[in-house]
Amino acid sequence: MVVNELDALREKYESCNTIAFADLSTQMILVTDSSSNRRREVLDDLCAEASLLLGANGKLAIGLKQSNSALVASKSSVRIFLRAEDEPNDVLCCICAPTVDAGAFLADARACIDRISSAA
Amino acid sequence: MSDLNALAQKISALTAQDVVFEAGSRVISQGGSPAPLDSVLAEIDDTVLERNLEFTADTQKINLIVAGRRLRGVLAVSSMGAEDVIGKTVSREEPDLLLAVADLISSICSSANRLTVRSLAPEPFGTGGERGISAQGLAEIWQVETDQAPQTPMGRFLNTNKSAFSAVLHVVDDEIVATFGDFDTLQTIWETQVAAFQARQKKTLNADDGPQLICFDGALEDGTAAALALADEDVVLIAYPANNIGAVHSSWRAIFG
Repeated sequence: MVVNELDALREKYESCNTIAFADLSTQMILVTDSSSNRRREVLDDLCAEASLLLGANGKLAIGLKQSNSALVASKSSVRIFLRAEDEPNDVLCCICAPTVDAGAFLADARACIDRISSAA
Repeated sequence: MSDLNALAQKISALTAQDVVFEAGSRVISQGGSPAPLDSVLAEIDDTVLERNLEFTADTQKINLIVAGRRLRGVLAVSSMGAEDVIGKTVSREEPDLLLAVADLISSICSSANRLTVRSLAPEPFGTGGERGISAQGLAEIWQVETDQAPQTPMGRFLNTNKSAFSAVLHVVDDEIVATFGDFDTLQTIWETQVAAFQARQKKTLNADDGPQLICFDGALEDGTAAALALADEDVVLIAYPANNIGAVHSSWRAIFG
């Protein structure tokens, strides 16, 4: 179950407060972790940001090629986005506190999205 | 140091919002930025009432008695071999002692990766009436230029992480002000992608959340990562090995909050 994977990742990182699984081709959030109580508009904005940063429909954001993960650090949060290795439209969108250990979280989130995508 | 420059530095220090405390000590230099000896001088220059300033340079400690913006002497050192200078008031009348104290502080602090300071109550010190030596006098001995404009947070971020980056392109008000490493690709990105990206980002996200660090894994040749750092009028494009992301983000948070 996708939600179990999302819950497991969120439970491992106290500083993570929302994880969502989205489809970039339709720009829709498909599943969130079971504790998330974010409003629909916030999730829509999160999905739009994933599309902007990871590039939907072959559109580049910054760089010479599309990234498989992106991170936005601001004063209030760290937002992390990862694309599945085998299915470019499957993405994980995460909202964390600024204190998150970005390196460790990215490694675990990478494994999480690849498991979800390969099981789908 | 001119009066106006000194005043500007004091105001800058007072308005700084990125002061970092660690277990009650204030972090005054990290990763060599600002230069540790500059930070020691600034602390001496900022201390008017008599204080015992405890500097921790990585694993070593040195306690200095400071008053009237002057160094009076060394109260204690965590390492051995400084017995000749401990407890003695420094003075220009005793150049050998003055040089020994300056060398001791320099040997402990100058190459510190992390330098912190704690201001403690003064302890009885020395017997003579000497006032010690001013921060400016120490700067002359160390040949440190103190008349420098204060660094911006973005400047500190770039200096602190210089070894973690392979190339940098720093733009202020649409003008390239600094580059580092092989920046040709970054310049092309600046010229062809950044404005459009910022416009799309503004349209997508209405809220302005202050300074931002945006990292793109594997966006450049050979899997190198790219980052866009935005703060006020500063726009910086950075190329860095992808596995440095944790350290780069951690440093960003320490400086920009």
